[in-house]
Amino acid sequence: MDRERLALLKELMALEFTALEFNLYLDTHPTDQRALMEFNAILPQLKAVKQKYQERYGPLTAEEPSSYPWQWINEPWPWEICYE
Amino acid sequence: MYTPADRMRLARAYVPFQIFSQRLSPMEGLLKGTIFPELYFPYRRQHK
Amino acid sequence: MWIYEKKLQYPAKVGRANVKMAKYLITQYGGPDGELAASMRYLTQRYHMPTPQAKGILTDIGTEELAHLEIIATLVYKLMDRASVEEIKAADLGAYYADHDKGLYYVNGEGVPWTAAYIQSKGDPVADLHEDMAAEEKARATYDWLINLSDDPDLNDTLKFLREREIVHFQRFGETLQIVQEYLDAKKYF
Repeated sequence: MDRERLALLKELMALEFTALEFNLYLDTHPTDQRALMEFNAILPQLKAVKQKYQERYGPLTAEEPSSYPWQWINEPWPWEICYE
Repeated sequence: MYTPADRMRLARAYVPFQIFSQRLSPMEGLLKGTIFPELYFPYRRQHK
Repeated sequence: MWIYEKKLQYPAKVGRANVKMAKYLITQYGGPDGELAASMRYLTQRYHMPTPQAKGILTDIGTEELAHLEIIATLVYKLMDRASVEEIKAADLGAYYADHDKGLYYVNGEGVPWTAAYIQSKGDPVADLHEDMAAEEKARATYDWLINLSDDPDLNDTLKFLREREIVHFQRFGETLQIVQEYLDAKKYF
């Protein structure tokens, strides 16, 4: 996998991980307004990076429109990527 | 949600509630396994 | 329902193929304190949780454990990649190879298949949350021992990530326990 794609993938992982951490925190602290604001602020960044990744490298979920032929099955699958 | 010591009763386990104050950057959080510095307890390898 | 996202939660690297390490690591795939057991435990216990916080946390951590299962699978897959039959024999994985070749199967390090007996679902939320906290500590300890067994810094990088997640999950289950206990107390006295 080329450097540029790997860097964008890691950026996506980092943003999604940040959203998940706030998600779990908010599950047990649903009235923490500051954490809620931070969670809401991360989402547009996450969406933007996700969209950029999908436009360049193909769908992350099977709920994306596909060019011909069906793009979803394209390799590499996550376990086949060299993350060096 | 936070139980002060004088309201704790016997025969019950308590974990103090985390109070969010600051977070690490997304990339630093990912590499550490948490975005919350107060929850970061890395393993120190024991030589046996 | 669940929607699959075609990415790992963490960039799981392996420095070099190492069949022996794959044999040790597979316990986090199908062993008693592994990621499959964790996910199945939380996702089945959530139906008897009394508060929205508890239903949410068991759903979300149970889902995250599936992502960890995929990371472990990726590591085992990479550690076994291109291993020769001679290397497999030398690592004492011949019996596994006879049944599965290099296919991923839910077993512990000694080849014992995964069983639902590894998990409990008591129907009592306080008892179940204690089990969940213990499960996180046992998985954390397993990652400690695996890090001791490994001299591959790339592999250890991912193991340290997974180990830290156990600590965060323990904290969330501890907070959930407190919420549930207070809820049950209030129900009793008012």
